[in-house]
Amino acid sequence: MKIKEVISKGIWTENPVFRLMLGICPTLATSTSVQNAIGMGIAVIFVLTFSNLLISLIRSIVPDKIRIPIFISIIATFVTIVDLIMAAYVPDLHKSLGLFIPLIVVNCIILGRAEAFAYKNTILFSVIDGIAMGIGFTVALSLIATFREILGNGTWLGNPLFGSSFEPALLMILPSGAFFTIAFIIAFLNDLDQRRKRHDKPAVQ
Amino acid sequence: MRFVVILGLVTALSAGALALVNQITDPVIQTRGREALAAAVTLVLPGSEGGLILTHDQNGETGYFAGFRNPDTTDLIGYAFRSSSQGYSSTIQTLVGVDSSGSILAIHVLSQQETPGLGTRCQEIRRGETEPWWQAQFKGKRISEVAVDKDNGIIQSITGATITSRAITDGIRKQVHGLLPRWNTEAKGQASRPNRSGS
Repeated sequence: MKIKEVISKGIWTENPVFRLMLGICPTLATSTSVQNAIGMGIAVIFVLTFSNLLISLIRSIVPDKIRIPIFISIIATFVTIVDLIMAAYVPDLHKSLGLFIPLIVVNCIILGRAEAFAYKNTILFSVIDGIAMGIGFTVALSLIATFREILGNGTWLGNPLFGSSFEPALLMILPSGAFFTIAFIIAFLNDLDQRRKRHDKPAVQ
Repeated sequence: MRFVVILGLVTALSAGALALVNQITDPVIQTRGREALAAAVTLVLPGSEGGLILTHDQNGETGYFAGFRNPDTTDLIGYAFRSSSQGYSSTIQTLVGVDSSGSILAIHVLSQQETPGLGTRCQEIRRGETEPWWQAQFKGKRISEVAVDKDNGIIQSITGATITSRAITDGIRKQVHGLLPRWNTEAKGQASRPNRSGS
């Protein structure tokens, strides 16, 4: 396994949101603005990287039978650290993300990567996997948030894009807007995949 | 038994790490909270920078500020208090400033997690303006008038967010009615102590 492969898996071929369909709940809730999306993404990158690092480090001494409670304790510790640091140094962002920071503990991506990757791989690969998966999550979240913030609020990263006559489509900011956006993006990605497959086939024959 | 020891060790280590982080961040969080509250209080009690008294009620859960124009705390501007009410999807915390005659000086929504685009408009600042338009309409209103237009009041509710508007206005009215008797006795107490600012 190569480092490049781990990176491309995290960001593209196994993108947690668009491919693995993990962590959809925080995706719906925190993609209302690009600023929230990036803040949430950075928090997830931090937690994912450090939990992967620690779990990979202690994997030889963790008994198989109690690995899940140990993973969850480690993840919860890092999430609480992020929560406290954000409350202290970026209070506005912390306020707007609210409950979704503590809820990273139960985010399927984190435990999923601990169980499926960090528990079976070396420290280096686990850290890279954590960073790559975290970036994949952040990119997906920011992409969804870009569509939602522009269409639903007429702004991008808080900057107004249109004149005052622009009537934002409220629907996009509401939870249903997130479903629409995710559906369109996934449909587009699947279409891209199928085209590539069709293109590849004649070459194989 | 081995499992218990290992799991105990892991949780003990994590508790230690958290205690350390908490020790670093806690003072910062406390200061930020105090700063935010102080800024909000001076927003709803303009001119009270020099003379604020925090009073706790009997159970110590909620308190209110009495704001004075001078540091000697004799020239009363009014009171600021926190009002919290259940909105559509969150508990809305509002800070309210009331003058001694029972008119609202200003309100400030401290925190809310209402529907984006609907209830969150209670904090919306229109382009070219400096304060949220919805909260600005409370200024100078008598407490008895504070109700949304659908309930025969004079506060214009946010389109599509009547529940949010009603929660804030009704919360404020109820809270003032609870506090008014206390302020009245306090004011009388001050009046009967003529020498307080005499010298």
